[in-house]
Amino acid sequence: MTVATPQLISATLTQLNQVILGKPQQVQLAFACLLARGHLLLEDLPGMGKTTMAHALAKVCGLQYKRVQFTSDLLPADLVGASIFEPNQGAFRFHQGPIFSQMLLADELNRATPRAQSALLEAMEEQQVSVDGTTYPLPKPFFVIATQNPQSQSGTYPLPESQLDRFLFRVSMGYPTPQAERELLRGGKGRSSLEALKPVLSANSLLALQSVVPQVTVTDVLLDYVQRLIEQTRQADTCQLGLSPRGAQALVRSSQSWALLQGREYVLPEDVQAVFIAVAGHRIIGKQDSRGDQLARRILSSVEVVGSGTTQR
Amino acid sequence: MPNQITYSGMWWLLIAQCMVMLPFAMHLPIWLIPVMLFSAGWRLRILKVGVTPPSVLFKTLLLALGLGVLLLSGLVFPSLDAMAALLLLGFAFKALEAAKRRDALIIVFIGFFLVALYFLYNQTIFAALYSLASLLILVGALIGNQQHVSEFNTAEQVRFNLRVALQILLQSLPLMLVIFLLMPRLPPLWSLPMTMGQARTGISDRMAPGEIGNLSQSSELAFRVSFKNKRPTQQTLYWRGLVLNHFDGREWRQFDEDLPMPYMRSRLEASALQDDQMTIQGEPIEYEAIYEPSGKPWLFTLSPVAHFEGTALSISDYRVMASDPLQAPLLLKATSYPDALREVRIKRSTLYSALQLPKNNERSRALAQRWRKEVGSDKAYLEKVLHHYREAQFFYTLNPPRLNSTNTIDEFLFDSRHGFCEHYAGSFVFLMRAAGIPARIVVGYQGGEWNERGNYLLVHQYDAHAWAEIWLPEKGWVQIDPTAAVAPERVEKGAREALASEQGFLSTQQFVDKHLPWLNGMALRWDAMQYQWQRWVLNYDDSMRLQILQRLMGEVSLQKIAFWLMGGVSAIFMISLLSLGIWRKPKREALEHRIYQHFCALLAKRGIQREAGQVPSAFAQQAAQQLPHHAEAIYTFNRLYEAICYQPPQHRTEQLKALKQQWANLRTQL
Repeated sequence: MTVATPQLISATLTQLNQVILGKPQQVQLAFACLLARGHLLLEDLPGMGKTTMAHALAKVCGLQYKRVQFTSDLLPADLVGASIFEPNQGAFRFHQGPIFSQMLLADELNRATPRAQSALLEAMEEQQVSVDGTTYPLPKPFFVIATQNPQSQSGTYPLPESQLDRFLFRVSMGYPTPQAERELLRGGKGRSSLEALKPVLSANSLLALQSVVPQVTVTDVLLDYVQRLIEQTRQADTCQLGLSPRGAQALVRSSQSWALLQGREYVLPEDVQAVFIAVAGHRIIGKQDSRGDQLARRILSSVEVVGSGTTQR
Repeated sequence: MPNQITYSGMWWLLIAQCMVMLPFAMHLPIWLIPVMLFSAGWRLRILKVGVTPPSVLFKTLLLALGLGVLLLSGLVFPSLDAMAALLLLGFAFKALEAAKRRDALIIVFIGFFLVALYFLYNQTIFAALYSLASLLILVGALIGNQQHVSEFNTAEQVRFNLRVALQILLQSLPLMLVIFLLMPRLPPLWSLPMTMGQARTGISDRMAPGEIGNLSQSSELAFRVSFKNKRPTQQTLYWRGLVLNHFDGREWRQFDEDLPMPYMRSRLEASALQDDQMTIQGEPIEYEAIYEPSGKPWLFTLSPVAHFEGTALSISDYRVMASDPLQAPLLLKATSYPDALREVRIKRSTLYSALQLPKNNERSRALAQRWRKEVGSDKAYLEKVLHHYREAQFFYTLNPPRLNSTNTIDEFLFDSRHGFCEHYAGSFVFLMRAAGIPARIVVGYQGGEWNERGNYLLVHQYDAHAWAEIWLPEKGWVQIDPTAAVAPERVEKGAREALASEQGFLSTQQFVDKHLPWLNGMALRWDAMQYQWQRWVLNYDDSMRLQILQRLMGEVSLQKIAFWLMGGVSAIFMISLLSLGIWRKPKREALEHRIYQHFCALLAKRGIQREAGQVPSAFAQQAAQQLPHHAEAIYTFNRLYEAICYQPPQHRTEQLKALKQQWANLRTQL
C-alpha cells in the first residue's frame, strides 16, 4: 500500500457521499466491489438512486461510462456490437456495442430476455467478446453495475442462480433516511450535482488500487472464521444451497477490499461481517424460500467469531 | 507410489525385526540376525541409493543356502526349535523382497506371532516386559508404514508413532484382560516336540556317588513353596522326589531295568493303586509349590501327600509326578501329613525290592551281619549304625575322593570316610538291607531359603539331598537321615551355611554373602516379584478361571460364560464407541484463544456477555462502555489479541508474552 492510497480512498468516498445522500454503507460496498474486481448488482425498486450511484461511481473513478437500458426486445447484438458491411471498403467491419466501455450500467437487467442477459454475463465472466469468430478484449478495468427490480414486479425474467453468482455483491439501496430525504426534497443535491462531481481516480490509479487488494493480509485465524461461516451456509438443515467455493473466494477477496477501504493492511472479522450479506445474500437459498439476506444475517449472528473453531460455544 | 514402503518405513521394519529376533539368539542359531540385517540393509540401499533389487535367481539361491545352513546347524527335525528357526529364516529374508506395503504388513504380523512364540522359550517378567516393548515397536512400524506424507522429521515421527502405538496398546488392554481372565485354555490341536537345547540341571532318576555333589554346585532355582498355615521348621522340610530301590553296587535306580518314560510312568501309577491306605494322623501341612521347568517329570513334595490339585499324577509311595517332563512352570497344591503311618501292611513285592542287594561289597555285608547278631534287635541295630556314623571319623564334604570300584560302599565305609549325602544314604541303606531291614533311598531336596518379603520358600539345586527310609513293623516306612548324624548343621541350617567353608561351593554366592549382603536382599525382593508373576499370571489356568468365574456369578454354565464374554466384549465396544463422542476432549485451542475465552468468561461474570457473532473490537467497545475505569486496559488487551490473530505474523512469542501480561494485569484489575 502506498502512502497515497488512504487519501485517494477517502477522497473518493467523500465525493461519492456528496451525491448519494445518507447511504455511506452502500457507497462503500459499491466501491469495495469495484476494488475487488467484481461486478455489482443493485436491487431495488425504481427511483431509489441506483442509476445515480452507477453514474457517480463512473465519474469519480474517471471511467468511460455507458448505459444500456435492458428491455424485453433487446438483442445480444445491441449490446455487443455487430459486423456491418461497408460498401466503400467492400468488407465487413465490426462496430463495437456499448459493452466496450470501462463501466457499464445495465439498467433493469431482469427486464431483458435470458438470451440478452446471458450475452452480458458471458462477457463479464470472460472479459472478452467473440463475434463472428473474432475475439475482442474488453477494456480494463471493466466493471458492470446491473440494476434489477424486485422479482415480484411484473414483466421480469429472474436471473438464475448460476448467473447471480457472477455478481460479487448484491446491494439494496433502501429508502433514504429522513434527513437525506429532506435534503433531496429541498432539491439542493441529487442527480443535478452529478455534473459537479470531479474525477478523483483514473483508470490507471484504479487498476493500481485493485492490485493492492490481494496483498491485504488474511491470517489463518481469520480463514478459520470464514470457513466456519461457509460451513454454516452449507448446513443441510438451514440452507438449500450453500456458498460455492467461488463464492468463498469472493468472500475473502471482498473482505480484503473492505479492509483496504478502512485503511487497514489486514482483514478483521468485522470486514468479513461487513461484506458477508452482500456477498452471500444472493448466492445462498434457505429452506422454505426464506430470503438469502435474512439467512446470511442469522448465520452471522450464530457463528463464533474468535478461536480456531475447535470448540463450539 | 502410495503402496510402496518408504525409506523411513523400512527403518521402522528393520528396528522392529531386530527387536523381535534378538531374544531368539539365546535359543536358536545366532546367524539368523546377520541374515536379517543383510536383507534389510540391502532394501534400505535400494530405497536410498537405488541399488538394483535382488533377482529371483539370487533370492532362490540365498534361500537354498539358508535352508542348507539351517539343516546343518544341528537342530532336530521336526521339532519346535527347527520350525521356529525356519520361520525366523523366512522372517529374516522377507525384508529382502519387502517392497510393497503389503509386505510390510506381513513382516509386522509375523513379528506379532514371533513375539508370542518367544513365550515358549522364556516366561519371566523380563521376557514379558521385553515383549511389550517389541509390541510397541511393531505397532509403531505398522503406523510408520501407513504414513505416506513425511510431514515429520525423524525425531517427531518416532515420538508420534510411539505415542500413537502406546495409545493403541493401552486401548487394547481391557480386551486383553477380558480374554486373559475369561477365555478357556484350549488344548493344542497338534504339537511339535520341544527339545529345549541342553538338558537342564535337576535331580535325575538315578544316583551314583558324586552326582548330588555336582548338583550342589548349582544355585539355580528348583521350586518355590508357600505354606497355607504355619511354616514347618527347617529340619522337617524333606522334599521327596524319587524313591530309589535298585542298587548295582555303584548306582541306585528306581527299578531293576531301564524303562522309557511312558512305561516308567504307568508302572509308578499302577503301583500307586495297589498301595496300602496310609493311616492319617497328626497335623496336615497345606502348601502350594511352583516347579521350575526341569525337563523331567519329577515333583517334590513333603511326604506323604494325601491329596493335591494340579495337572499331575499320583504315583507309588504317596508321591506325585507330572504327566510330562516339565517344560513350563507347574503349580501344585498339596496336603501332606508328615506323621501319617505308611504301608503298615507291606506288599510282598515291595518288601522284596526293599531288600535287594548286589553280590559285591562283601566287607560291608559282613560288618552288617556281625553287628546285627551282636545287638539282637532291629532297633538297636539302627542305633548302632547311626552311632557309628556319629562317632567314627566320618567327614561331611562336598569334595570327597572319587570312588572307582564297584564296591563303592566298602570303599566309603572303610577307607575314604569322606562323603556327601548320597554316600551316607547309600551306605546306610546298604547296611540296613544287609541286616535284613527293608530300606530304600529317597532323593529330593532338604530345607530351602525363606523369603521374608514374599512369605515363601525358595528351594535351590544346592538344597538337593539324599536320605533313607526304613520299614519297621507296626510303624511302616520311617524316614532316617544318616547325613544328619554326621553333619547336623546340614539339616538345621541348610546346605548354603553348612557347606560355606567348602572349597569351590558357590564361590560367587559365598562372596556375595560375605561382602555384599544387601545384594541378597535385593535378589530376594526380585524373586518375590517373580514368584507373584508365576503364581498369578503364568499359572492362571482353567481351574483358577473357573474359581474366579464362580466367585463372580455363581454356578458356571456355558451359556453364562458365553453371555458374559459377549456382554463384556460388546460393553467394551460400546464404551469405545461412546468415548469417541462423549469423552473425546476438544482439541486444545491455541494459547491466545484460550486467554481470550478466559477474558470473555471473566467479563460474563461481570454481566457483559459476548454474543457468538460479536467481533472482538465490538465486544471490547461494549465492555469498555460498561467498565469505563478499565476501558484503557480492555482496549489494549483487545488490540494485542487482534494483532496476534489477524495481523501479519511476526514476533509471536513476544506478542503472546505481552498478551499474557496484559491479561494478568486485567485480571487483577477486574
